[in-house]
Amino acid sequence: MGRAVLVFRLVLADVRRHRAQAAMLLLAVTAATATVALGLSLGGASEALYEQTRAATAGPDIVAYAPELGTPVAPALEELTRAPGVSGHNGPFRIVFATLTSRGLASLVVVHGAPEKPGAVDRPLVTSGHWVRPGGAVLERGFATALGARVGDRVTVSGRTYPVVGIAVTAATSVFPWAPGIGPYGGPSDGGGLVWLTHSDAKALASRDLPLAMGVGLKLSDPATARAFIDAHRDSTVMVNFHPAQFIAQQDSVMLRDSQPILVIGGWLLSFLAVAGVAALAAGRAAEQTRRAGLLKAVGATPGLIAAVLLTEYLGLALLADALGLTVARLAEPAVASPTASRVGSVVGPTVGVVVAATALAVAVAVFSALRPTLLALRTATVDALTVTAHRPRRRPLLTALSALLPTPLLLGLRLTARRPGRAVLHGCSTAATLIAVDALLTFRVQPRWGYAQHRGGWGAGLSGLPNLRDDQSGRLLLSVTVLAIALALVNTVTMTWSTAMETRATMAVARTLGTTPGQITAGLSVAQVLPALPGAAVGVILGIGVYVTVGDARTLPISSMAGAAIATVLATAALTAVPARVAARRPVTQALSAETT
Amino acid sequence: MTSAVAEARGLTKVHGRGESRVPAVDAVDLEVPEGQTLAVMGPSGCGKSTLLHLLGGLERPTKGEVWLAGRRVDTLSERALARLRRRSVGFVFQAFHLVEELSAAENVELPVLLAGHSRREARRRARLLLDRFGLTARARHLPSELSGGQRQRVAVARALANEPRLVLADEPTGNLDSAATLDVLRVFEDLRAAGQTLVIVTHDERVAATADRLISMRDGMFVDDTRLTGAATGWLGGLAGLEG
Repeated sequence: MGRAVLVFRLVLADVRRHRAQAAMLLLAVTAATATVALGLSLGGASEALYEQTRAATAGPDIVAYAPELGTPVAPALEELTRAPGVSGHNGPFRIVFATLTSRGLASLVVVHGAPEKPGAVDRPLVTSGHWVRPGGAVLERGFATALGARVGDRVTVSGRTYPVVGIAVTAATSVFPWAPGIGPYGGPSDGGGLVWLTHSDAKALASRDLPLAMGVGLKLSDPATARAFIDAHRDSTVMVNFHPAQFIAQQDSVMLRDSQPILVIGGWLLSFLAVAGVAALAAGRAAEQTRRAGLLKAVGATPGLIAAVLLTEYLGLALLADALGLTVARLAEPAVASPTASRVGSVVGPTVGVVVAATALAVAVAVFSALRPTLLALRTATVDALTVTAHRPRRRPLLTALSALLPTPLLLGLRLTARRPGRAVLHGCSTAATLIAVDALLTFRVQPRWGYAQHRGGWGAGLSGLPNLRDDQSGRLLLSVTVLAIALALVNTVTMTWSTAMETRATMAVARTLGTTPGQITAGLSVAQVLPALPGAAVGVILGIGVYVTVGDARTLPISSMAGAAIATVLATAALTAVPARVAARRPVTQALSAETT
Repeated sequence: MTSAVAEARGLTKVHGRGESRVPAVDAVDLEVPEGQTLAVMGPSGCGKSTLLHLLGGLERPTKGEVWLAGRRVDTLSERALARLRRRSVGFVFQAFHLVEELSAAENVELPVLLAGHSRREARRRARLLLDRFGLTARARHLPSELSGGQRQRVAVARALANEPRLVLADEPTGNLDSAATLDVLRVFEDLRAAGQTLVIVTHDERVAATADRLISMRDGMFVDDTRLTGAATGWLGGLAGLEG
């Protein structure tokens, strides 16, 4: 117990002394774990919401659609309701393919004729207002949200105006904009909203020469036999489309098909950025940690205790960040998992598997970042550890000779880069990871778009279509991941510049005594960061294209924008490093020299 | 102005503020003529290192003037000061401050390259200087592979690489054993004989004995200023063990 308290007190004291570094570690690991946890949590989220909605609305096991193509289809659907294994049904009901306008917005819709008192199967859950009544329309909730419609608003359906009397959800159709199930005349659907009218209102609307279909919802005594039921009831004389519940749930998940890879790949990119930043921090503090280890050894601490002290700080902060990340993921999941509002219920939150994966990630970030400096501190002999200063760089004769041919800032920059090749690689990879995210966003933005629920000939003056929720969500998530990646990369760049400046302060002070100007030192420190950023940017562009082409199925690549982003990244690195480099370059020379005693 | 290489007038440097205000250098006047070897001695904390830093433009005075090679330097920008140091001042430190990953020759080449000269010129100067200080065989060695005396001789060679008018040495033998100290003393004697202007801050009387002039400091002020006519070849030189 006493040992644990000692470790805790030592860790706490160190965190207090290095608050900014602790905050950086927290930020980086929280962003990474939140994104990965959110991405992993989306697996099965839409199915879970569908099941909850189905339970709340007595959703059918199969919905059958039959387009009206001249031959009456109602008898065929009625026959299905009497088929063996069917324990309940809703319909047959009329389906009218229409258009809806409201306050300057327009959308394709399917109008379902509905009984004023729903039966035992498919009982839409009214979430606002009340169920259909003559002359009044009920809008499906996902559609109403996209339209911005509320109870009391008036909507015009193919020329007839109805007040919105209610808003409801159903499990009989997929989420907006895939409510139609089938398109007009049995063709493919362009998507659309769902509106319920009474049977008589739907019949009146059908008289306006609009495409029609009939639908029926079936409840089976054994839902597991849905596939066999469908196979047994295919009719060659009447075109019937069967939509089992699994198909509807699968169609729901299309909404998240892009979200999950964006979040999971984005999460790994952010994790890498976190490792790069925290490793730079840990390496920058290696000399100090080694001295600390020497002090602890000198007063009798065992290697185990020292390792515990040095690693617990990183592990403790990483686990705290993991908890924060999981909380952020839990809070964000409802909005991300259900962008349409077409479903009710709640997402279950990160599962045990997701918690384990996020925690493993956080621990890995901490261990990858802190293990090497910890081992170095443990291996260093006590007396050496007490007098250790900065890490002694390796000699690189070729690079030294090459840099001698260059102007002073490049000479300094190249030699500084060579002192810490590992850090240079990390910085290059950090730049590449950021550009992968930026390029994905740029590529996403130039892809051809087609909206759902849009009239193929356009809506005409004064009307605009509804947003493409799936693309909007993907765009928002990509933007969030990219912003986080840029933020972490900014922090990493400043951290690495400052660490380099602090480690080389004695050498730079000597250079100052030899007549190097503060401006040349500043430029040299900036060059040391820009040099690894250059190949990093090039690799980032190539990998960005690769990732998006492989995962995102890109049709158009904004090569010039990507090249522009790469150049901007390198310029931003130069600008960003100038500030810490300038601060470091202006530190008093004598202070740095007197601190260096070897 | 005089023809002095370095000159200070009413030079004052105060560290800290308020009650913790400590005058490190307190209104001193100094003139170092061309070719003079000046030794500054005094107890720890008396301000001798600060005086050296002020003369070399590494620190700015709180009050007073510093002139180097006929030019007032305490009013110069950092950039201009750096350029002046590049051409006119060489530093030698107690802790050597060699760049660890560079060989002895590369360390000596460094100030030449920083001054914008070609690599060929840098190599030429490094070769000459290392030869002058008996380090030719050690030219390709890293500082960690050199003895203390060898390291300090490399540091002196580096200080001379741009042929400065003034060399400032801060406790150049402070980290050395007796044998290495003698090595370095011979180097300074060589410089003195060649007419190099030198200001050496030291605790070591043997080093001071090689000078033309000795200033003693206490509490930031000069308490004694002596001309040593015998220098290293006279009786002080004998004391220092340099004869034979």
